[in-house]
Amino acid sequence: MLSYIRRKFAGSGSHFLAFLLCALVLPSAAVVFVAVAGMLTQEKAMEAAVSSYVQDLAESMSYHLSSDSEVWTFAMLSDFTRYPFFSWGPSIPGWVALIAQDGKVLIASPGSMSIIVSIWRNDLPVGQAVRVTDKGGAQYTLAIYPVKRPGGGYVVAAVSWTQLLGGLVGVVRLWPALIVAIAFLSFIAIRLLWQKVVRPLRSLASEIDSMTLGKDVPEKLPDGTIEEIESVHSALLRFAQAAVERDNLRNRYVRDVVQAQEQERMDMAREIHDGALQDVTALLQQIHMIADDENKTSRLKRSEIIAKAVVKELRAFCDELAPPWMDLGLNEAVTELAERLSQAYDIRIMTDYDEDTDNAKIENDKILSLLRIIQEAVSNAVRHGEASEVNIQLTRENDTLTLEISDDGKGFDAANISHETLRVEGHRGLASMKERMNLMGGTLKIDSSPGKGTDIRASLRI
Amino acid sequence: MAVRILLADDHPLTRSGIAEFVRREESFELVAEAEDGSEAWDKIRELRPDVALLDIRMPGYDGVTVAQKVKNEGLNTAIVMLTSYDAQQYVIASLRAGARGFVLKTVSPKELTTAINTVAKGGLYLDPEVASVMGEQDFIPEQLSVREREVLLLAAKGLSSKEVAKKLFISERTVQTHLASIYDKLGSRNKTEALLLALKYGVVTLEELLEDE
Repeated sequence: MLSYIRRKFAGSGSHFLAFLLCALVLPSAAVVFVAVAGMLTQEKAMEAAVSSYVQDLAESMSYHLSSDSEVWTFAMLSDFTRYPFFSWGPSIPGWVALIAQDGKVLIASPGSMSIIVSIWRNDLPVGQAVRVTDKGGAQYTLAIYPVKRPGGGYVVAAVSWTQLLGGLVGVVRLWPALIVAIAFLSFIAIRLLWQKVVRPLRSLASEIDSMTLGKDVPEKLPDGTIEEIESVHSALLRFAQAAVERDNLRNRYVRDVVQAQEQERMDMAREIHDGALQDVTALLQQIHMIADDENKTSRLKRSEIIAKAVVKELRAFCDELAPPWMDLGLNEAVTELAERLSQAYDIRIMTDYDEDTDNAKIENDKILSLLRIIQEAVSNAVRHGEASEVNIQLTRENDTLTLEISDDGKGFDAANISHETLRVEGHRGLASMKERMNLMGGTLKIDSSPGKGTDIRASLRI
Repeated sequence: MAVRILLADDHPLTRSGIAEFVRREESFELVAEAEDGSEAWDKIRELRPDVALLDIRMPGYDGVTVAQKVKNEGLNTAIVMLTSYDAQQYVIASLRAGARGFVLKTVSPKELTTAINTVAKGGLYLDPEVASVMGEQDFIPEQLSVREREVLLLAAKGLSSKEVAKKLFISERTVQTHLASIYDKLGSRNKTEALLLALKYGVVTLEELLEDE
């Protein structure tokens, strides 16, 4: 049953709302209905009881007072006053009185005089209980019975509803107000539900629907949104912001890569233009001049020197672009690079390896990454750290290869520099080392502090 | 008697250029040309030349592999590596594979003649351009101690400091100290330079380097 309802109303917001409306209104309506029905039934029963009571009272009184022969005398009347209900009043709240044919009150129980006068009407039926209302709105049930004797007269018996039911009457009057109040409260509740839950949820849903992840961030919620939706919203906000940040980072990264590519192309172009191209041009000039030159030997010698220089330059250029000695294996490639760097920077570079780093099958791109890291690290050690000795160590533990490069340079405060700071503050080399290792699925740790040199540790799985 | 020579290079222009040098020299006889490593290996086995000029980078077998095969087979052919790459690790790899010469392709005919003649007589020839890194001309190296010579030879054979330490029953730290001292004495900045200089000064010989451990 419950699951049926859930299925039925899980669909859309308005169905759910209708369900909530029913859930709120129907029970209260039922309560009101039952209460009103109960009240009415009870009032009917009371009325029957009260009617028969006043009828009985009036009838028995009239019976006592009836006589065939005697005319009313005051002596008789004073005799009647001995009846307890004339002296004390009836046993339930009410009054009884004897009224002469001409309407004059002969005897009356205490307090009844004024009331009977106030409710008396000439068209009241005789021998039958009737419900009347006085000018003040108080209700009474009243019965009139004729006294059968010469001279006539009537016994009037009455019960006051107000006195009989007391506060209950007030409660009965409260019912309509209560119903209105319940309806009003239900309306308010539904309105609040709509305003604070359904509508924010709907707008949140449509916002999520139309959001481009990585670009948009959800708008701020209006004030007074309930806590639960607020927390859903803030989770969405965090999620969206993270996506935006990641997108920004990626865009920046791509831009960097493109820039670096363009820069590299320009550098290569400049290098070829200023180097090999100039040399070959010079060579061509020498060859042109050989034809009409008496000093052929020295021209040829010059040409040879130039050509050799071109070859050397282009060789160095190729080595720089993609070291051809990479295919010698990891240890040899590292040694070659280390020794070239030691010659280029004129510093001592010690290299050492574990036995099993060399025969490890390592892809060329991983070797190249490690070589680039060594290049960058040694260049940093010399240029920024003014190091005079660098130690390069390759170790292997199971599938993890670790390259450690330590120098005796000045060092820097590595602990307080984040990856982002590295990127933006021009230490692009360090940042790109990290990115390179990340790309290879490895890690890079930089450990340095002023005066203690720098220790770079790159690890990757092979 | 002319020196019988085999030339292997996958680059036709370079190959024909060098072939012309060799043919021009009267004391040389070009017995075969090969355009890849496996052809070179087949012809060496078939023709048993005195000297084989091998390019390092070739399809099939590379030059170092062919040299290794010649060494393993115990053939008398002397190998000269002929390459465009000046990487010292190629020199070391070639020497370990049994090559006796290492010459860059930019070499002059005179130098190539010297190289071929040197290795044909059982000597060692390294291109001056590769060897130019090896200290000044008039540098006189300090004498290495016996231990230092051992350390240098083992390191030259490609052993790591840890392995050298294990082999000589000394600590790794001591090996490092020895190496640093060797570098100082030979005026080198690194292991390869140290080895090449040691070979140049005759501190160690190629035969010692090729000995099995």
